[in-house]
Amino acid sequence: MSLALTRRRFMATAAAAGTIPFIGAPTARAQATGILTFGLSSYPPSFAALQSTGTAAGTVKLMIHRGLLGYDKAGQLRGELAEEWGVDDAGVWTFKLRDNAVWHDGRPVTAADIKWTIESGAAPDSAAAYKTPLQLIEKIEMPDDKTVKLTFSEPFATAETLFAHYNMPMLPEGSDDEGLVGAGPFKLAGRERGVSIDLVASENYYRPGLPRLAGIKAVAYADENLRVAALEAGDVDLIEYVPWPAMGAIDDNPSLTLDVVEGPFMYLTFNGARKPFDNKLVRQAIAHAIKREDVVDAAFFGRGAGLAHLPISDASPFYNPQYADAWAYDPEKAKALLAEAGHPDGFDCTLLSTAQYGMHTSTAEIAQAYLSMIGINVTLDLPDWATRVQKGNAGDFDFAVMGTSADSNDPDGIARLIDTSLPTSFVRSANLDLPDIPKLLAEGRATFDSEARKEVYEKLEGIAMDEVPLVGLCWRAQGYAFHDGVSGFKNLPGQLTFYSGLTLEETALS
Amino acid sequence: MLAYVARRVGVALLMVWLVATIVFLLLHIVPGDPAELLLSTGSTAPDPAAVASLREKLGLNAPLHVQYWDYLTGLLRGDLGASLQDGTPVAEQVALRLPRTLELIVTAAILATGIGIPVGVRAATHAGGLTDRIATGLAAIALSTPVFVIGTLAILLFAQTLKIAPAGGYVAFAEDPLRHLGLLVLPALTVAAPLTAVVVRMTRSAVLEVLERDFVRAVRARGVAPRRILARHVLRSALVPVVTVTGLELGTLLGGTVLVEFVYNWPGLSGFLVRAVDARDYPEVVGIVLTISALFVLLNLVVDLVNAVLDPKVRLSA
Repeated sequence: MSLALTRRRFMATAAAAGTIPFIGAPTARAQATGILTFGLSSYPPSFAALQSTGTAAGTVKLMIHRGLLGYDKAGQLRGELAEEWGVDDAGVWTFKLRDNAVWHDGRPVTAADIKWTIESGAAPDSAAAYKTPLQLIEKIEMPDDKTVKLTFSEPFATAETLFAHYNMPMLPEGSDDEGLVGAGPFKLAGRERGVSIDLVASENYYRPGLPRLAGIKAVAYADENLRVAALEAGDVDLIEYVPWPAMGAIDDNPSLTLDVVEGPFMYLTFNGARKPFDNKLVRQAIAHAIKREDVVDAAFFGRGAGLAHLPISDASPFYNPQYADAWAYDPEKAKALLAEAGHPDGFDCTLLSTAQYGMHTSTAEIAQAYLSMIGINVTLDLPDWATRVQKGNAGDFDFAVMGTSADSNDPDGIARLIDTSLPTSFVRSANLDLPDIPKLLAEGRATFDSEARKEVYEKLEGIAMDEVPLVGLCWRAQGYAFHDGVSGFKNLPGQLTFYSGLTLEETALS
Repeated sequence: MLAYVARRVGVALLMVWLVATIVFLLLHIVPGDPAELLLSTGSTAPDPAAVASLREKLGLNAPLHVQYWDYLTGLLRGDLGASLQDGTPVAEQVALRLPRTLELIVTAAILATGIGIPVGVRAATHAGGLTDRIATGLAAIALSTPVFVIGTLAILLFAQTLKIAPAGGYVAFAEDPLRHLGLLVLPALTVAAPLTAVVVRMTRSAVLEVLERDFVRAVRARGVAPRRILARHVLRSALVPVVTVTGLELGTLLGGTVLVEFVYNWPGLSGFLVRAVDARDYPEVVGIVLTISALFVLLNLVVDLVNAVLDPKVRLSA
């Protein structure tokens, strides 16, 4: 494998993204089309660039920052601060930076900035979302000001999705924890915690003619009904996290557009330290006991689809159709599995969820109802979100409801949800010892050939269907809605929905 | 009178200290770790080392009594501490947001008394009549309907359907006075609705009660005009309980506007409290509760003093 090969790939992706005609072109500002008011689902708990602090924070980061790579509207990887990238036969990744990439303060983006960002994220006291993979980088070389070479301690095939993640933006050397100076299309002009964030177009953005907006006012509307009311009343131009009950009305409103994708998903996690959840037969029984359509109907007003396997989309090249219905609803099979596990009359247990988010509560209630039909007597534990998170992180639960999106459309994007070797966390099952899963995940990360990777993940999914590290319940529709005057914004496909803030650079108001 | 005031102020300070202590302790008993939450919000597993390091940085590893002592000594210096979320001084946030909540409450109080007292008097003087029945009926509805329902219905009607008012939000008065007032109307009316009902009912029953008293009968027997009796004799006595109840209600509203601020995205202090609790931002929660309770205690004090002025018997019995 050589750099030339990936240069071809770069040309292909760049052409797809429509960037080639602009390479080397002088920067030109387009006609600014006003200030877009963006209705956020919450005010970001923090702006810390490298930390994972929720989807609203991710959207704001994508206004301010750019990483080495990103995605185009079709969900294909494209260069951001890096205009060329590739990996050589020794597994060394090389990123060549754009000549015209500049920080908001006017300084050019250099290899030293990239090195500093990676080292900051990998530092022992770092709280970066991707600290663990960054710590696998054992050598950072800078042959020149615009080139970075990364040597990983083990082959790392998923470097592209890592460096395209919105929690992996690049920062100028010496940034503080928040890192509010970026190289993205907008720069921070003001903010009031809990209320709003004001951004103005960066005159230094590297894509000529972009951004098209003069600025963005991001207003936090934690109440989902008010978020919709604000859109309908014309107070805001665009909202994220369209509540499911409101999707029908927005769809029917001729002056509004609803842009929905199926990407995020709901699932169950288990605590292997609590009997009988250490028994895979019990986990299998639960997987077969719940009718997914009812979860979709009750929690998401029919906006979604059943998920009876691992959360790998049927649009993904890594989708394995033979497992599509591996955990299909089959109460008789569930009862038989329960009997085989030594619990013919079922058992009592507690399901952890939260009363703070309706979709989590409804999902738990449907699971409770269906499990009662096979004799499992479930008591719901529905604390507020903060308590739910702490209980999950402490492994203080029998089994639990969770909802999230994968890190990317690559199957490695669900690694943090099924890798049982990782420390206990509220996002995945606790205390399950399933060594084959982390082994195959590592093999997938170390395999560069697509076909070979497909085989690895097929094998992994087969094991997962049997061992049940999580129970997929449903895909949920994730929506943005906007006025007719808004153009250029796009909900990115599948798991990339929360990356849609990338397209704000092309968004315009008329 | 001076001794009375001194005693009341002493009790008020004791109350504020008690509230601060109880809230501080309760918060630390409730599960949910701020450091863990700060690093867990994006569905990503928090790194235990990072959580430990953040806890150390935020001073959460110190024993509870040390944290409490630091907090109390900080308070004596006038320091409410700093937010765990972004390190901004709590006092700064309180100073920014309290005026907005007060603006909402004061506007609502003006609306409630401006409407409630005349309507209550009219209902009492025409007891059993149509005005009385309509007023008491509407008051019962306003009192029994939760504010978030009134708020949601008002948004649905005035913002989404009629499109004559914004759905919610906030713009500073200095930035755009008209827009500011436009955004104030619906939340102020929503806060005012139950308060007006209370004022109507209190005024009505107080006026009715005073109208039955012997001295009123005596004045009436002397042939004084009813309007003059009402203004000079009845209202002065009847307004004592109305002032008391309205004052106490205002104190309750300081905390009770939470839902209204949430429904209308009004960035006041009450709504901010909800977010602070969600984030387990201890200094912020205690700082806000302390401010609200101090104001509540202060309002009680003012109500007592006003009553003492209106009715000297209050002073003697206290």
